[in-house]
Amino acid sequence: MKPHILLLLLTLAPLGTMAQTRISGQVTDQAGEGLTGANIYLEGTYDGTTSNLEGRFVLESSETGEQVLRVEYIGYKGFRKPMALEGGTIELARITLKEELNELTAVTITAGTFEAGDKKKSIALSSIDMVTTDGSSGDVYGALQALPGTTTVGESGRLFVKGGDSRESKTFIDGTLVYVPYSSSTPNASVRGRFSPFMFSGMMFSTGGYSAEFGQALSSVLSLQTNAMPVEDQLNISLLTVGAELGGTKTWDKASVSTAVSYNNLTPYMRTVPQYRKWEKEPEMLSGDVSFRLKTGKSGLLKLYATANRSNLTTLEESLLEPGTAFPYKLVNDNYFANASWTGEVGKNWILTTGFSYTHNLDKVRMDSLQFDETLRGSHAKVVLKHRINDRIRILAGSEWYSLSFGVAFPGTETRSKASYLKNTLTGFLESEIYASSRFITRVGLRYEYSDYLKGSSLAPRISTAYKLGEAGQVSLAYGWFFQDPDHEYLLYSPELEFERADHLTLNYLLNRDNRMLRTELYVKNYKNLVRYGRSQGQEYALINNTGDGYAYGMDLFWRDKQSIKNGEYWISYSYINAERDYLDYPEQAVPSFSSKHNVSLVYKHWFERLRSMLGTSYHYSSPRYYNNPNAPEFNAERTKPYQSLNMNWSLLLKQNVILYFTVSNILGYEQEFGRSYAAVPGPDGSYASKPILPEAKRWFLVGCFITLSRDSSINQLDKIN
Amino acid sequence: MLISTLVMGGDETYYQKMGETLSGFSTCTSVEDYQNLANKFRVIANVETEEWLPLYYEAQCYIMISFMNGLSAQEKDAYLEKASSILDQMNEMAPHEAEIKVLEAFYLTGSLVVNPPQRAMNTTPLIHSAIAKALAMEPNNPRAIFLRISNEMGTASYFGEDTEPYCAQARELLQNWDSYELRSPIHPNWGKEEVEGIVNSCGQ
Repeated sequence: MKPHILLLLLTLAPLGTMAQTRISGQVTDQAGEGLTGANIYLEGTYDGTTSNLEGRFVLESSETGEQVLRVEYIGYKGFRKPMALEGGTIELARITLKEELNELTAVTITAGTFEAGDKKKSIALSSIDMVTTDGSSGDVYGALQALPGTTTVGESGRLFVKGGDSRESKTFIDGTLVYVPYSSSTPNASVRGRFSPFMFSGMMFSTGGYSAEFGQALSSVLSLQTNAMPVEDQLNISLLTVGAELGGTKTWDKASVSTAVSYNNLTPYMRTVPQYRKWEKEPEMLSGDVSFRLKTGKSGLLKLYATANRSNLTTLEESLLEPGTAFPYKLVNDNYFANASWTGEVGKNWILTTGFSYTHNLDKVRMDSLQFDETLRGSHAKVVLKHRINDRIRILAGSEWYSLSFGVAFPGTETRSKASYLKNTLTGFLESEIYASSRFITRVGLRYEYSDYLKGSSLAPRISTAYKLGEAGQVSLAYGWFFQDPDHEYLLYSPELEFERADHLTLNYLLNRDNRMLRTELYVKNYKNLVRYGRSQGQEYALINNTGDGYAYGMDLFWRDKQSIKNGEYWISYSYINAERDYLDYPEQAVPSFSSKHNVSLVYKHWFERLRSMLGTSYHYSSPRYYNNPNAPEFNAERTKPYQSLNMNWSLLLKQNVILYFTVSNILGYEQEFGRSYAAVPGPDGSYASKPILPEAKRWFLVGCFITLSRDSSINQLDKIN
Repeated sequence: MLISTLVMGGDETYYQKMGETLSGFSTCTSVEDYQNLANKFRVIANVETEEWLPLYYEAQCYIMISFMNGLSAQEKDAYLEKASSILDQMNEMAPHEAEIKVLEAFYLTGSLVVNPPQRAMNTTPLIHSAIAKALAMEPNNPRAIFLRISNEMGTASYFGEDTEPYCAQARELLQNWDSYELRSPIHPNWGKEEVEGIVNSCGQ
């Protein structure tokens, strides 16, 4: 058909007898506002025009016969109208374009969620933030503790979210579970995340009400996306006051391999800087990792990652039973983690994501009185299929399999006694996201889990909605049930337990305008079926059951401003948490020892252009926490000192490929004490001896130098020599 | 015979339309102007479905918009997103075209400028990589050489290093600029003024 028309035109053209047709009209949005700059043209011809400020246009064409008029505008669905052109004037009725749902402009569910990524509009925390935010030298979890909803628990270092215990928070890398996300340490010593923030380009941190895609977490989910394909060959060298790392990346057209080896030894540092803790052997760690990326087909990406890690340390612990003496506590940890994931299109509007992870963790503990080995082996396999039915409806369906074996062996004992268990959990989930308009979204999901060890199943409904109030503000509401297996140590004792449960209700308001963000959140959490036990002689967990319960409610406030100060930005985060529980061996309902009522974080960062330096400072405050003193009549009624810390870090871009980094925590030397630990049995006078729980040292310093060698900079070097 | 007339006829109209539309760049001063021009290239692209040049200039318009004042970061990203999808389309049509890689580097620079502290770390290597690819495909492409010089010079001056070697390279590039043979009058031909700018800033 088309060649004929063209032919006709060509033959007619020289004759110059074409009749001009004048098409006029107006393009508006659904509110009737004129759209400026819309593209109006006749399909398959060069005849086109652009709408003016009122959305009006006049299109003149010398085409004749059946033609198709098209109207296009960024962010709106196109308009198409066949018409016959016979010269003269055609006055069109108003053309109303429907807004296209666009991820950049449409409402998103924000209740409970902090998201960050290159294109996400509400960037809360990027990997650079993680390095420049805290005094924790690039610890993912340390940086997250500057966000509201979290509590800093100095003797742990783990994530405690909205009145929940740290084990209620789960970490996923590229969709797969990391069973042991933290480093191993002695009791009451702070741990760090095992993974460098620089591995990740995106993150989703949800402090409640999350999607049915995530389970086995009562309080929060941290989902980290690793970097996409690297584009340059590189050699990275890091020199730190506590160790060194050497890494390299090799890239090809469709694949890349990166690998790194690092060795850390805190002996020189801890012998130089005064420590509270006494060491027989300061922490030492050797680790290596390798990752592989392969582009498959048009849109697929395969990611493989594996890491192996060995650490060991021996502290000298003051004995509470024999005052004045100390005993060595030796810990050797072997940790292996590997994961694989593939994401790609499997049809138009169908995206398949598959992942598998394996964790192996062995903690060998050697004390004079007690020696034990804890072994954890965990696997997680996951398949998720996402389908975009149209621009209003998306569905997600998936299934997971978790397998965990956990055991404790006592190699020192004559009988070499051993306890272990194996559990398999199968899950399935289905969720749909429905946009009533670009202002209103509802997400409804259902999650099913079956555990062969607990011989039980759970069904968890989740629902959340968000409504955009104007250009910048939106409200979001989420409700859902969340289930999790009881912790290893209880499951080891009894399979006669059920899933623990938490119900979340979260109301969120978000205002995002001109690089300023205000986020407030109110929430209520109800805990049910928590593990409870009594203590009786000769048996650690007597009468273990699921009758524990608890609650938490509170408010989060978060204000981030990247606009008001030139080259500077700050954020203020406050959370109020009111939590009580009656679980474990609590004699009554009490505030758990990991919860503080008021938590404040202030962060300020400044970029000094002329010094090519980034200064980051942060201040954290947590109100006193409760802990139990067995000598006192009331349970969990002693209060710790409030936690305060002022931290600073300085990064200097010395050369294009050399960064100098300096950080110090608790500059002002606030006295930090995280409660007291008590002897397991009373002394001769009938009272329990105790000692304070202190951080490792008053302050922490780190100096580092990061060097990147790439082909590009080697060209630069050559240029200089020439 | 008929067919060749047809193709010739089509080609002539194409070159004529492209020529007309390209002259529009010289008068563009506002977002509306560039949007208008982008629309015109889109109309041509819709007819000439085998040609990447109309797409090239359409994307260029959107990238230019992202450098304009008075737009929010979100709006800039929306225009850049449009440019990015056009780049994808072009990369499929002409995967070995150096000019497209040059435009990709230009697009990435636009994206970086929207939020440098947040994006520099991830985007800078991508820019380097795009320029390197362009140079690998066409080592004497003057726009690719210009981007390389301007990038390296920017870095050198930022770190207080001597920029004279780059000035020398820019002078040489300017000298040879006109000897680069354009494949057609409608192929990309920008960059000379920018190189002149560098040479002038070098003080000679």
